[in-house]
Amino acid sequence: MTEVATYYEDVAAPPMPVARHGRGAGFWAYLCVALSLAVVFVLPIIWAILRSFQPARLSSLAPQSGDFTHMTLANYRAVSHGLYDVLPNLVNSVIVGLGTALLTTVVATLAGYGLAKFRFRGSGLVFGVILLALMIPFQAVLTPLYLELSDLHLTNNLIGLILVYTTFNLPFGVFVMRNTFQQVPQELVESARVDGAGFMFTLMRVMRPLIVPGLATAAMYAFLYAWTELLQAVTFVQSPDKLTLPARLYEVTTSTYGSINNAYLSAGVVLAMVPCVLLYFALQRYYVQGMMSGAVKG
Amino acid sequence: MGTVADKPHLALRARRGGPGRPVRSAQSRRASRTGALLVSPAVALVVVFVLFPLGYAVYISLTNWPLLGPYHFVGLANYKQLLHDSGFKHSVVFTLTYTAIVTPPIFIVGYGLAALLRANRFGSKVFRTIFFLPFVVGLSTVSFMFEIELQPNSGGVDFLLSKLGIVSDSHAWTVNQTSALIAISVIVVWFASGLTMLILTGGMQSIPQELYEAADVDGASWWAKEWRITLPMLRRSIALALIISIIGSFLAFNQFYILAQNNVGLETVVEWIYQTAFTRFQVGYATAMAICLVVVIALITSAQFLLLRDDTEL
Repeated sequence: MTEVATYYEDVAAPPMPVARHGRGAGFWAYLCVALSLAVVFVLPIIWAILRSFQPARLSSLAPQSGDFTHMTLANYRAVSHGLYDVLPNLVNSVIVGLGTALLTTVVATLAGYGLAKFRFRGSGLVFGVILLALMIPFQAVLTPLYLELSDLHLTNNLIGLILVYTTFNLPFGVFVMRNTFQQVPQELVESARVDGAGFMFTLMRVMRPLIVPGLATAAMYAFLYAWTELLQAVTFVQSPDKLTLPARLYEVTTSTYGSINNAYLSAGVVLAMVPCVLLYFALQRYYVQGMMSGAVKG
Repeated sequence: MGTVADKPHLALRARRGGPGRPVRSAQSRRASRTGALLVSPAVALVVVFVLFPLGYAVYISLTNWPLLGPYHFVGLANYKQLLHDSGFKHSVVFTLTYTAIVTPPIFIVGYGLAALLRANRFGSKVFRTIFFLPFVVGLSTVSFMFEIELQPNSGGVDFLLSKLGIVSDSHAWTVNQTSALIAISVIVVWFASGLTMLILTGGMQSIPQELYEAADVDGASWWAKEWRITLPMLRRSIALALIISIIGSFLAFNQFYILAQNNVGLETVVEWIYQTAFTRFQVGYATAMAICLVVVIALITSAQFLLLRDDTEL
C-alpha cells in the first residue's frame, strides 16, 4: 500500500507530479473495487424497493426485462386497508421506536453524566451492574420476562415493550454517554458549578454541544433495535392490532395458507426499511463515527 | 464547539477557585447524592428487567412450570432431562455449526472492506456508509426481503444465478436444509460484515501513521506491513469484532425463524427455547435451557474482558 504515503503527500501538495501518480492505477483500481462492492451492498435494497411497485400478477412470475415498466401503488393500497392492513402496526413501530430512543437517551444520559462527572459510593458497582445486562442477553431471560410482564399487566402492551427494549439498550447507551461525558473538560463542569449553575443547567446548557454526537449514536442505536426486533415482539405481544411491523409481517407471511403473498410482503418490507434508511442517512455522520469509536471502547 | 474558551467568565472563576473551599465537604456530599440520583433510573430498569428475571429464571428452571396452571418444584430434573434431549442437543450442534460457518467469512469480508477504505481516499466515507447499510436495515427486514427473492421461479436469486450460469433450474432455496443454510449464511455475511468493518476501522485509525512510514522507508511489502503492524496493533478490535459476531451468531433467531419456517432441523438454540416455552408450553424446561445459554454467553463475554483487559479506561 504505497498509495497511503503518496496520498498524504498528495493532500499537502496537489499540483506536484506525485499527485498525478497518486491518482494513478492504484486509485482507479480502488475505485472500481469499491464501486462494484457498493453495487453488491445496495442492489438488493434497490431491487426490493422496485419490486414493491410491481403489479401483483408479475411478482409471482419469473423476473423479466419489462417488469418495471408498469409501476403501481396497488401493493401499498393492499397493505393499508382490509385484511392485511399493516398501517396500525407501522404506527405501533413508530411509537415503540421513538419511545425506546427517547427513554434510552434520557436514562443513559443521566447515568453517563452521573458516572463520569460525580464521585459517589458504589459507582463502580453501578457500572458493573449495568454492564451485567450486556452479559445477559434478553434471549436468555425470555420466559421469566414474559411471566413478569404478564404479572405487571405489561404484555400485549407497547409500554411494556418500550421498557424492556430500553433496558437492553442501556449497556451500550450508558457506555457511549459515559465516554462522551468523560471527554467534557472537568474545568467546564467545575466552573459552572462554582458559578452556581445546577447540574441540570450544566447538562442542558453548558455541555449540550459537546454531547450531541453521543446522544445521536445512543438514540439511533436504540431506535434501530426497537424498530427491527422480532423475538420479544412476538413473545410479549399477541393481538394483531398491538404487534409491531416486523411481527405483523411475520404473521402475514404465515397466515396466507402456505403461499407467501409477494406483493403484500414487498410493500411491507419497504415500509419497514424506509424509516431506518432515512434516519441513517440523516444521522450517519454521528452514528458511523460513534459506532467506530464507541464500539471499540466497549 | 462550546469549550471553556467560549465562556471566559467561567474559566476566570475556576482559576480563582478560593471561595468554594470551606463548604467542600457539604458540596461533595451533595455531589455524591446527585450522582446516585442520576444513575438510579438506569439501575432500577436493570434490576427490574434483568437481575430479577435472572433470579426468577433459576427458580422457574427448578419447577415443571407449564404456561398456565399449577406447578411444583422438581429439583434438577429439567437439567437431567436436558442431557438426554436429542432435539435440544441437535439445536446446540446446529447453532455451533452455523456459527463456525459464518464467523470466518464475516471477519474476512469485514477486514477486507476496512482495509480497502483505510486510506480515507476519495469516496471512502460514502462507501463506508453504504457497506454498513444492510446492518442498519436490520436482520428481520432483510430476512423478509430475501424471503421473496429466495422463492423458486419468481425469486431474484434464482434469476440472477441462472443469468450468471451458476444454476440452471429453479431452486426452492428455503425448503432444502443445505441450500437454506447456504442462503442464510450468505445473507448474514452480507448483513453483518459492515459492523466488523466499522469496528476494525475504528482500530485501524488509531494506529500511528509513523509506523507505516517507517516500514516504507525499510522497503516493507504490503503483506509484511499487514502482518507485522496492522494485525498486532488491531488485537483488541479483532477480539471485539469476533466476539460480537460469535455471540450474534450463537443467539441467531430472526433469519431462521423467517427464512426456515417449515424447515425442521434448522432450529437454533434460541428458537428451540422459544418453541419449547411458547408452542410446547414447557416453561420450566425451556428456562433450564435458557440458564445453560446464560452460562455459555457469560463464558464468551468473560473471554472478551480477559482479551481486552490491558486497558485503563474502565
